[in-house]
Amino acid sequence: MYAKWNESRYHYRKILNRCLLYATVIVVVGAFMLPFLWMVSVALKPADEVFLFPPRVLPGHPTLLNFATALNPAFLRYGLNSILVATLTTAVTVLFAVFSAYSFSRLEFPGRKALLVVIILTQLLPLAVLIVPMYRILSRMGLINTYPALLIAYLTFTIPVAVWFLRGFFAGIPFELEESAMIDGCTRGRAFFAVVLPLSLPGISATATYVFFVTWQELMFSLAFTTTRDMRTLSVGILDFIGEHVTDWGALMAASILVCLPVFALFIFMQNQFIAGLTEGAIKG
Amino acid sequence: METKPVKQQSVLAQMLPHSARQTGQRPSFSMLPYFFILPTLILIGLVVVYPLVEAAFLSLTDASFVNPVPQFVALKNFVNILSSDTFWQVFGNTLVWTVSVVVFQFIVGLLTALLLNQNYRGRALTRALIILPWVTPGVIVALLWRMMYEPQLGIINGVLVRLGVMHQVIPWLAQISTAMPAVVVASIWKGSPFSTVMYLAALQGVSKEILDAAKIDGAAGFNQLRYVIIPTIAPVIRITVLLTTVWTANYFDLIYVMTSGGPLDHTHIFPTYIYELAFARAKTGMAAAYGLTAAAVLLMFSLLYIRELNSRKALD
Repeated sequence: MYAKWNESRYHYRKILNRCLLYATVIVVVGAFMLPFLWMVSVALKPADEVFLFPPRVLPGHPTLLNFATALNPAFLRYGLNSILVATLTTAVTVLFAVFSAYSFSRLEFPGRKALLVVIILTQLLPLAVLIVPMYRILSRMGLINTYPALLIAYLTFTIPVAVWFLRGFFAGIPFELEESAMIDGCTRGRAFFAVVLPLSLPGISATATYVFFVTWQELMFSLAFTTTRDMRTLSVGILDFIGEHVTDWGALMAASILVCLPVFALFIFMQNQFIAGLTEGAIKG
Repeated sequence: METKPVKQQSVLAQMLPHSARQTGQRPSFSMLPYFFILPTLILIGLVVVYPLVEAAFLSLTDASFVNPVPQFVALKNFVNILSSDTFWQVFGNTLVWTVSVVVFQFIVGLLTALLLNQNYRGRALTRALIILPWVTPGVIVALLWRMMYEPQLGIINGVLVRLGVMHQVIPWLAQISTAMPAVVVASIWKGSPFSTVMYLAALQGVSKEILDAAKIDGAAGFNQLRYVIIPTIAPVIRITVLLTTVWTANYFDLIYVMTSGGPLDHTHIFPTYIYELAFARAKTGMAAAYGLTAAAVLLMFSLLYIRELNSRKALD
């Protein structure tokens, strides 16, 4: 009798714990999601509802008009600039980083550790210290307000991060594979191209995703090194929506959603490699 | 769905020799590594080291955008900086901003990781959702929070007034007393998911056996966290805290878009103030001196980070 009662009490407590766990998860994750829901809600509101106080949580008459306003020619131009600059930077970065990351993870040579320290120091350098000299150097080269200016500026932080990421991924590929290729007569270089490179494609794409993601959202250099509207990237151009006196918050939130979509899509697609890159690179090295 | 292969890879990575030398590589000297690294080194030299050297020179001059032939002024910029109230104000702001963001990011990140590490349905989905704030571009986060803090149409004032917590709206970002806490909250929201991801990865390494043993010994709840979990993941905590410290201190986007350093410089941190000096006030030499000073302060944290990696043999 007592045992039975005890058992049911245990059972009851277990169910209660489960409920508590689910409730906490929903509250915590929900709290993190609230700003996004608010962003979507405002983006769907017609202009007169945006300015109601106290604000309504949900749009009374949802509309896609804000998205039409957001997709104006200037915004599309910013989008094109962002795509061009981010893609170009990603390609150049990966091209350089693949080789040095391979060296750092696989080859033993004098000065290896010191050079790795240089890479990490570069990765943690406050970029604001570069902005003044970089502006002068780019002006001397006549590059201010061009795509190459942004490419050069972005390489300062993408290269070290990409080397660090890729080094972690290369470390996960069994050395035996290369070794057997070399026993079969491959040179070290050929073993790299024929064996290691194909195997590390997931790692390379995760690194490329990360580089694209950081360049896509870069603000400071883009603000400083572009001077005309037609050269602006999205992160700078989106500030257009903030008016001197009135801000079209509906269109601004619609535009914000559009800016987020590519990185969210990339992230969902690459989620696992992305997280592996982040944690392996930083935790394990 | 694809979690498994990645996990296997990481376990594999731990078991395998980290670099070739342990598996008996040929001892002969090879130029290949240098050949592979050289392009990257040249690039870093051109885009990072060369500008740094130029910054060092500029910091010793009175250069400005309107001053084509800068005069050498030796350490005058640094003397001026260290004796100016603005420097110490910006320094203090950077300190308050960095410490509060890092501390809360650690607490929120760790608690969220512990929660998402439990066993429940829909775990993969919640883990993916929770990262979204970190994946959101900084400018967008800043704009979103700026809108939420708006006195006239922001949801935060709206909810607080409707609940009767306040009778009047608060201009959160325009008021000296609330501006810094307001940007800090936005930054915690954006940054915590990164810590969560790091701690979730670290929690994989806390073995179930040890936790069960601790439970039998009577350690439950907080004691388990304090005596078992935190000591096990301590290295990851140290690395994550050091990384977030450097990133937060250097974070330009959020404050620039939300307050531009205002009201009355009360939210200016080093990156935003350096940008203002360089481009709004055209004080090139001064901005360079500020930049180098900030870099010198942060270098200490970078060195701690490197030491931490080194002690974990992550550089070998």
